[in-house]
Amino acid sequence: MSDSVRITLSVNGSGHVVDVTPRRLLSDVLREDLGLTGTHVGCEHGVCGACTILIDGRPARACITFAIQMERHEVTTIEAVARDDVYSPLQQAMHEEHGLQCGFCTPGIIMTFEAYLRDNPDPSETDIRDVLSGNLCRCTGYQGIVAAVVKAAADLRRRP
Amino acid sequence: MKAPTDTFTQIGRALPRREDRRFLTGQGQYLDDMAIAGALHATFLRSPHAHARIVSIAIEAAAALPGVVKVVTGHDLAAWTTVLQMAPPIDGLAPTAMPAMPINKVRFQGDIVACVIARDRYLAEDAIEAIEVDYEILPAITDLPSAFAAGAALVDDAVPGNLLAHQSFAAGDVAGGMRAAHAIVESSFSQQRQTHLPLETRGCAAIWNDGRQHLTLHIGNQAPHPLRTQLARRLSLSESQVTVICPDVGGAFGQKIVLYREELIVAAMARHLRRPVRWREDRMENLQAACHAREATCRTRAAVAKDGRILALELDISEDFGAYSFFPGNYIARVVALILTGPYRISDYSYEIRVAMTNKCGAGPMRAPMAMTSWVMDGTLDAIARRLGIDRLAVRQINMLQPGEFPYTMATGEVVDDITPTQTLAAVAESIDYAGLAARRKEAETRARFRGIGLCSVVESTTYGSRFYKEAGIAGSGHEAAWVRIEPSGAVNASVGLMGAGQGYETSLAQAVAEGLGVDAEVVRINLGNTDVSPYGMGTRGARGATAGGGALYLCARKAQDQVLRIAAHLLALNSAVDLRLTGAKVQRLIDGAWSETGVALADVARISYLDPTALPEGIPPGLDFSLTYDPPPMTYSNSAHACEVEVDPQTGRIEILRYVVAEDCGTVLNPIVVAGQQRGAIAMGLSGSLLEQVYYDESGQNLSSTLADYLVATACELPNFEILPMHTPNRRTPVGIKGMAEGGVMGAIGALTSAVNDALAPFGVTADKLPLTPPYIRSLLRGRI
Repeated sequence: MSDSVRITLSVNGSGHVVDVTPRRLLSDVLREDLGLTGTHVGCEHGVCGACTILIDGRPARACITFAIQMERHEVTTIEAVARDDVYSPLQQAMHEEHGLQCGFCTPGIIMTFEAYLRDNPDPSETDIRDVLSGNLCRCTGYQGIVAAVVKAAADLRRRP
Repeated sequence: MKAPTDTFTQIGRALPRREDRRFLTGQGQYLDDMAIAGALHATFLRSPHAHARIVSIAIEAAAALPGVVKVVTGHDLAAWTTVLQMAPPIDGLAPTAMPAMPINKVRFQGDIVACVIARDRYLAEDAIEAIEVDYEILPAITDLPSAFAAGAALVDDAVPGNLLAHQSFAAGDVAGGMRAAHAIVESSFSQQRQTHLPLETRGCAAIWNDGRQHLTLHIGNQAPHPLRTQLARRLSLSESQVTVICPDVGGAFGQKIVLYREELIVAAMARHLRRPVRWREDRMENLQAACHAREATCRTRAAVAKDGRILALELDISEDFGAYSFFPGNYIARVVALILTGPYRISDYSYEIRVAMTNKCGAGPMRAPMAMTSWVMDGTLDAIARRLGIDRLAVRQINMLQPGEFPYTMATGEVVDDITPTQTLAAVAESIDYAGLAARRKEAETRARFRGIGLCSVVESTTYGSRFYKEAGIAGSGHEAAWVRIEPSGAVNASVGLMGAGQGYETSLAQAVAEGLGVDAEVVRINLGNTDVSPYGMGTRGARGATAGGGALYLCARKAQDQVLRIAAHLLALNSAVDLRLTGAKVQRLIDGAWSETGVALADVARISYLDPTALPEGIPPGLDFSLTYDPPPMTYSNSAHACEVEVDPQTGRIEILRYVVAEDCGTVLNPIVVAGQQRGAIAMGLSGSLLEQVYYDESGQNLSSTLADYLVATACELPNFEILPMHTPNRRTPVGIKGMAEGGVMGAIGALTSAVNDALAPFGVTADKLPLTPPYIRSLLRGRI
């Protein structure tokens, strides 16, 4: 098909030079070219939310984004959430509240709420469920995830 | 009742899951996360028609495209694979046979027509577009009436009348009960076609090592050993030439049990091309062509006395099994019929089952294959209550088995024991304030909303022993196999033939081993899903994991502890190990009624067993390596009662779930965190299926629900928080009192929600008897009545 184009991607604070065809999805480039397989592909049509990443700090679906669109944007993936081997408050709360089972949807949910909690430090359970409705989970019934977000928000509010 | 877990130190611990770390940090390794050097990609051309003869396939243009390595059709695969014969000696079951890829005709929209192997997935999908197929379209059979109509087109030429299975059964004097009845109450229950929707679609990667003549298949699957048996058979390889390895699995719910045709084709292609071949199903394929479930209608006729007692019960099930039979066609309907009467005292009972083939995706078991059972039974009781004008709780109580009546043999011969239906029902009725509903209903009516409470009691068949399979006529076993190894340092490895897809086995099964051996669960590593490492077991299905798998591991670990203590007794110069125990990996001795340290640790015994075996007592072999198989009772049951309160808006048809309470008695639990997660997940799946999910086919057999914008599942906004009332009556016939669980939640949720909605709709004199309970359906019931 069409020829490859050389682009520079900024992912998790590092620059990567990759050759991509224009139709290549960001999710495929992250997973196959950069080896960042924590971004999962669940539907390839932007509904399930498993592939949620941050583009310039805001949640987006990697499966309906072309890699070639990402020049001059900063991409953040699940691999950058834990710092120095320490869970983020949300990761810790997901563990404690049994907010995950098979784990496939988990990175997308964490990315959604890492961004959301930064801007919304004190959400109600209704707010959380509303935001969470953009991510499908088939295992948990969502209850543990909601509890984890509530707990993480409280933890973040206590921090300086 | 005393909780059995009081006597355990490891079983019953609320241990957070050890598998979480990799999943929370993006380090899980699912199938598609594996890098395989040089792997080619498979993509399938699928039929656009529900039923058509394949006249010709032109592959040349596709094969000539850049990056394309091979294009194959059914003729090619027929030379490299054998046919799947589904012909167990079961009464009333039509035998079927299925090749790896259709050759002469396609049977549903999404059926496989050709396979492209290319350098990458993008190029493979380009090539699919370039294949030209000439079809002769045949009449599509898309529902039960057309399947059974005289002269109907045959979905499978070998199945006359499209009747895949036909069974009937009667016990007691049903006709006499009908004659003696005060009233005969007839009810109908239609469950829609659904699909499992694991967040990770299917997929696999096959590597043929030509030098060793060995095939390795990487695949997310629930039952790796039975899969290996199938794969070897269909490729005419020995089982020693095939290794199945399961990476992390992103949900399964029954969709990842059998060897599907796509997986067999990928393996055959890897062998033929002598190159690794991988496949990742896309979501449209998953919704159209993986596996569907649940499409069945049940009708009941209940003969009742004036007080609501059931004198006799008839059940008629008709099920739409789709175009292919990956499982015996009678199996799912039969389980519904077998356990229908569940917690109730009904000795005069008959059933008839008819299972049809249609031009839709093949059906199989989905978390709670028998999902509709409790809805049908408690829905029948609700209908009786409505007809006789008696209270819905009272009609359940008068028919329910009382504590003194166990063990109880159902009309079908199934034996239930150690279950607590009256206690669980009383607990949820009290918790949800059944008695106080009238006041809340009145308040809701001031807002033009209609409230109802639903009740549903569940008896869940969990663990099938080998005797069950024998009696069902299915070649197979319900046993499970385990090994436990204490390494030279005292570290513990263990394995069992299960494979998880989110159930937390690496934590909860470590607790079973730790309890049996006498160590902390933290030192036990559970190794699953590699057929070269794990013993041959029957895999994860039903709700057998804890009873069969946990039971086998516990017993195997006990065997290990026995040997460790015999060695310790020798080291301590004692004649016998009777007063010794292992706890926290240390050997203790009972002296004057108190346990005291002996100074001997598991690590000391391990070191001697591996590095100084001549110091072992006579008759004890070197090493600490144990294995065991365990066959559970023919069937184990757990039970639960579900109650939910809903509010219906008659103007919009919207259903809001206000509260959901469940009392589930699943006996001893390995890990309460994991069990609560399974309870919530199962209820969520039941509610999602009852409210939203539906595979839609139009009259020509086109699947209209092929995206997640069309096949709707519950999001966080549709589901409530679940209130769990713990109950733990141990099963006295399993090693530590485990009963099994994880499917009953689906059964109870369907029944409780439907019961609640019908209670709310009662003022309008209408009853919902079809799922899903969508707003348009509720509105259609109320049209002209408000």
